[in-house]
Amino acid sequence: MHKPEAIVLCGDGINCDAETAWALNLSGFEAAPMHVSDLLLQPQALSKAQMLVIPGGFSYGDEIASGKILAIKLKERLRDALYTYIEQGNLVLGICNGFQVLVQLGLLPFSGENDPRIVSLVRNAQLKFINKWVRLQVYPDVNSRFFTSLREIELPIRHGEGRLALEPLTDGAAESIEQTVKRLAPLRYSDEVNGSFDKIAALTNPAGNVLGLMPHPEAFVRWTQNPSWTNRQVAIKRFERSTTIAEIPHGLAIFSNAAASLN
Amino acid sequence: MSQTHRASQTTHNPSCSETTLQWCLSVIPKSDYSAFALYWVRIPERYKDQLDELSVALREVLIDPLQEELWIARPEERSAWVDKWNARGYRWWAERQFLPGVTDNLAHTVQEALELKKFADISVSSGAGFIFRDRLMSAEDAANLRKTLTMHKIYSDSESIERSSRYTIYHPLADTFKVHDLSVDCTGELLLFPSVRLPEPPQTLPVSLELEDEGLEALSKDRLLALTLSEMRTIRNYFRQKQVQQSRSGKGLPTSPTDVELEILAQTWSEHCKHKIFNATISHVDYSSGNRNKVVVKSLYKTYIQGPTKELMASRKDLLSVFKDNSGVVKWNDEWAVCFKVETHNSPSALEPYGGALTGILGVNRDILGTGLGAKPIFNTDVFCFAFPSSDLPTRPKLLPAKAIMDGVRKGVEDGGNKSGIPTVNGAIFFHPGYRAKPLVFCGTGGILPLDVQGKCGYEKHTKVGDTIVMVGGRVGKDGIHGATFSSESLHEGSPMSAVQIGDPFTQKRVLDFIIEARDQGLITGITDNGAGGLSSSVGEMAQITNGATIELDQIPTKYPGLADWEIVVSESQERMTLSTTSLDKLQSLAEKHHVEATAIGVFHDKGYFEVTRAGQPVALLDLTFLHDGLPPLELEAEWKPSQITMTSGSVPADLGKFLLRLLAHPNISSRENVIRQYDHEVQGMSVIKPLMGERQQAPCDAAVICPVYGDKAGLAISNGLNPRLSSHDPHLMAICAVDEAVRNMVCVGADPDTVTLLDNFCWPDPVLSTKNQHGKTMLALLVRACQGLAEAVLAYKAPLISGKDSMKNDFDDGVIRLSIPPTLLISGMAKVPDVSKCVTMEFKQPGDIIYLLRAGKPGLAGSHYEEMLGWQSALTPQIDLQKAAKLYRKVHQTMDKGWVNSAHDLSEGGLAVAISECIIGSGKGAKIDLTHLIEYEKKSGDNSPFPFSTDKVLSRIDTILFAEGPARLLISIDPAHKAEWETFWKDYECEEIGVVADKPRLTVWEGVATVIDLAMMDLERAWRTALPFD
Repeated sequence: MHKPEAIVLCGDGINCDAETAWALNLSGFEAAPMHVSDLLLQPQALSKAQMLVIPGGFSYGDEIASGKILAIKLKERLRDALYTYIEQGNLVLGICNGFQVLVQLGLLPFSGENDPRIVSLVRNAQLKFINKWVRLQVYPDVNSRFFTSLREIELPIRHGEGRLALEPLTDGAAESIEQTVKRLAPLRYSDEVNGSFDKIAALTNPAGNVLGLMPHPEAFVRWTQNPSWTNRQVAIKRFERSTTIAEIPHGLAIFSNAAASLN
Repeated sequence: MSQTHRASQTTHNPSCSETTLQWCLSVIPKSDYSAFALYWVRIPERYKDQLDELSVALREVLIDPLQEELWIARPEERSAWVDKWNARGYRWWAERQFLPGVTDNLAHTVQEALELKKFADISVSSGAGFIFRDRLMSAEDAANLRKTLTMHKIYSDSESIERSSRYTIYHPLADTFKVHDLSVDCTGELLLFPSVRLPEPPQTLPVSLELEDEGLEALSKDRLLALTLSEMRTIRNYFRQKQVQQSRSGKGLPTSPTDVELEILAQTWSEHCKHKIFNATISHVDYSSGNRNKVVVKSLYKTYIQGPTKELMASRKDLLSVFKDNSGVVKWNDEWAVCFKVETHNSPSALEPYGGALTGILGVNRDILGTGLGAKPIFNTDVFCFAFPSSDLPTRPKLLPAKAIMDGVRKGVEDGGNKSGIPTVNGAIFFHPGYRAKPLVFCGTGGILPLDVQGKCGYEKHTKVGDTIVMVGGRVGKDGIHGATFSSESLHEGSPMSAVQIGDPFTQKRVLDFIIEARDQGLITGITDNGAGGLSSSVGEMAQITNGATIELDQIPTKYPGLADWEIVVSESQERMTLSTTSLDKLQSLAEKHHVEATAIGVFHDKGYFEVTRAGQPVALLDLTFLHDGLPPLELEAEWKPSQITMTSGSVPADLGKFLLRLLAHPNISSRENVIRQYDHEVQGMSVIKPLMGERQQAPCDAAVICPVYGDKAGLAISNGLNPRLSSHDPHLMAICAVDEAVRNMVCVGADPDTVTLLDNFCWPDPVLSTKNQHGKTMLALLVRACQGLAEAVLAYKAPLISGKDSMKNDFDDGVIRLSIPPTLLISGMAKVPDVSKCVTMEFKQPGDIIYLLRAGKPGLAGSHYEEMLGWQSALTPQIDLQKAAKLYRKVHQTMDKGWVNSAHDLSEGGLAVAISECIIGSGKGAKIDLTHLIEYEKKSGDNSPFPFSTDKVLSRIDTILFAEGPARLLISIDPAHKAEWETFWKDYECEEIGVVADKPRLTVWEGVATVIDLAMMDLERAWRTALPFD
């Protein structure tokens, strides 16, 4: 079977490109990091790939607002190519800082050229960076190509600005915006973690091909990345007489879903 | 090149000599606010017809239009702002602005964003504004006051605003902070763009050394050279030589050294760079036996650091490059090597903690980047020693508040690690009042590099004659001049402001990406970092490979004009690497892609000298042999008299549970969660054992484990050990305990003890006797003893040292008080875990598991936290059987390989009771502990133990058993199914069964039939999770 190709952006302060490319390759993609400068020089590279990933990191040092300057750069130099790419049904995935970039670009939750921007990702309620594993609920009714057959998952969050805030538009519009955003949120935190609106951890566009999420799926592609893996292994050794945990790590499952949807 | 570089835009744009227009900008939140972002902007005349477009671009870049608005004003129009705040009932407003020349990362980003919007050459300076009240306006205000920040406080005068803001919202060495009264018109006093304005730089001048001794000493002091009289004389004598004079006159140089030459020598010969004390000849007099025993140690470094490693080399083929490169390199597998380096950044962190810690992290990252042909940093590990904030601490005008130091350092490490994409996998925070004036900030980084780079050995340098010298990254400015010589002196009132630097992690991340790609393309023949000493150090050191180098000052990009030649050469401006290449064009086009500046600044040759030219004319010409080997050896005296401690103690306290809770809440023991969670410890996706593990993510792990190669099952364990509380008892034991702790921590998570490599980091009070420093001889003796202990432990554990560092002047002296740190040795370690699926974490796993105490030593009360809490003084120091411990750790590893071990934890601060409590908290389970046997065992073994102190009845006391501290002890739990084979396996070792893991979350401890501790897990956890006082 032909493997779908993925471009993983790197450079300009992106940090998670190497492990994201590795995770995608494990999940059935043919993935390689590509420097932002190279993509801007050759936007046609997009036509060869079925998925564009903007990984986590601190693009432009997170100055002014996280994701903002990289978004301006992509908007100035890649705007039309991106809209076409999304319209054609290719996948766009933004993880953590990449999610912030997609929001700053105005691609989530609506990815059309004339859609207004209705959400922001702002500082966590604690006003602190948080690195912690969290439980998350998948909302299967939301149209997304990333969460097929998943219900409850665990992933780490590692961000200082991951609280989803709704833009206060005109009076009266607020309620409909709330409903809209809720309908386009395929993933929520099980517990309160950063004060995000409706505990939302991810947003998709209505077509389900653009996804932004704050937790890091690339950080859970082997069980030994989970903070409680030694506990589970002891239990498995005792009760199942096995030394390996059978369940697919949840990050790997998310990427595999994406790959499967492209085949 | 289309895009200007970040570093070039700081505050002055040389290409833009046209007249400019100034704007001041405020980013005002639409919701209630008391602080806001401020910017000062200089706009070139050529945009005068595009000001509307510019203000649109500024809005797009600077604000979220739905949450904020942008106020734009010319400087004289800012009175309009004042009216708005006045109308809202505010009384003062304050501006914070960076001092001219201080690194302003936010401004650089704004400039780059404006360039994307087609507005190039706009200069930006960032800052912040604050508004303050003198009275409450409403009930809402009162509510805000209770729940929020200092911002909502009420102030009666502007001085109190200034005072309470110092070190919390501004730092006098980095910022200008100005408070304005809103009730009067003070537009004229508002801050304008902070330009660096320097006079015409002084020409390079000859400096005559034909002076009497006093003159030489005064010259060294006045120029901040930190050279001793004998060093000054050596330099004078060198320049007197006929040969030297002839070659100088042939090059058109004066007979006397130029200021450039003197500065290069001072930098190269600084304690920081040459480790003069560790290389000194020391006559060590020891009175411990009652008699006077004198030994002469030729070099502490060669004898006790390098010596043991050399001895171990034969059996350790994995040591690829030790003690010669920027970090120690160890073979990982057939394709990769790993490397590790730990540095200190104490003096800068004492002056400006945020910038000090940030540049510390970024600096040690560059050590890794500058190893071999360039290694990629894969983990950070940081250890901080602070004074716990308390009103008992001394205060002096030059001393920052203890809390400001803690907060600044913590934040600096957060930004340094997180923004660089390097996980902070492990660390330690240690409190002792002795760190009041000089916090210790140890920054460690590990990296990975390929063994083969396009057919060349990756861990060596291949610089050849004719290779171009390239400076990469940031530009040169006034920042960090005299950092190397400065760290070699004690802090005093006149400590130079230019030592303050703030790092730029974003620029360095770009440099990092660029270097790794350039390396893989084979464009780098050699590389090193620009750390202490700047170009003087990096080029001067690399010149030794080919035996010569020449750099041209006209080629070196500076942040602003006005730098003297000598300043360019020794400036420590950050984010710079120096490399050699044969493919300059390819290198520069790759640099362009990464938006990194890479400038050819000279050439490596084999003419035997280090030459600096200005417009082709030499301004410095130094013979390399003299530069690197001309330093006269130091001769020092040490005198050791064992400490005389008057023992005080008391009876066993009634409520031991209460003491356990107090210990758990002790700042040296309590949970570090509020710090750990703010550091990204998982980026790069390699983590296996994180700082906090278990289902509750509360289990404080002994060491970190990462998988450096994706898809590979082998893991790298990383740990730290230090025990400065034992320094006052015996630094020999202190050093052994540090080594033991580092090794034991790694053994606990599953590392193979035969693969351990270690790094030493000595931080000491000045060990050189002088009129100001009466304790010099004693401090040096402590150092000798610590080195001896270190060597013993290294040899016993077969754990070679591969790199190290020392910081020898950790004193504060303002003429009124002298404050010195306790002698501190940090040992950092790494080791291999053959198969990460066999790693073990410290929390209990399942009810019914049997808990054992494994030991190869005796704990003591001396230096323990229990002793400190009760105010006792004990001479009962811990004991260790090093040979037995070495064997024990290897056997523990075997049991982990067999899969017997369900949890393993080292006993450290707080002793046995704290270790058990941590295993309980980490698991959410409980433990039933019966100490009856252990006490009987102690009583019995007291009769035939080889340890001199064990007859002391103290050892079998219940409180000693619970709370005494000491090396070589582990707490292990195993599945009862393995009980029989386990006990047979350990029959020749001290392995005591002490209890069982319980389902009920509760700690119960018995002695005979008496319950001595009975506490719910929740109580233990509440105490342990007492947050450290970080913001």
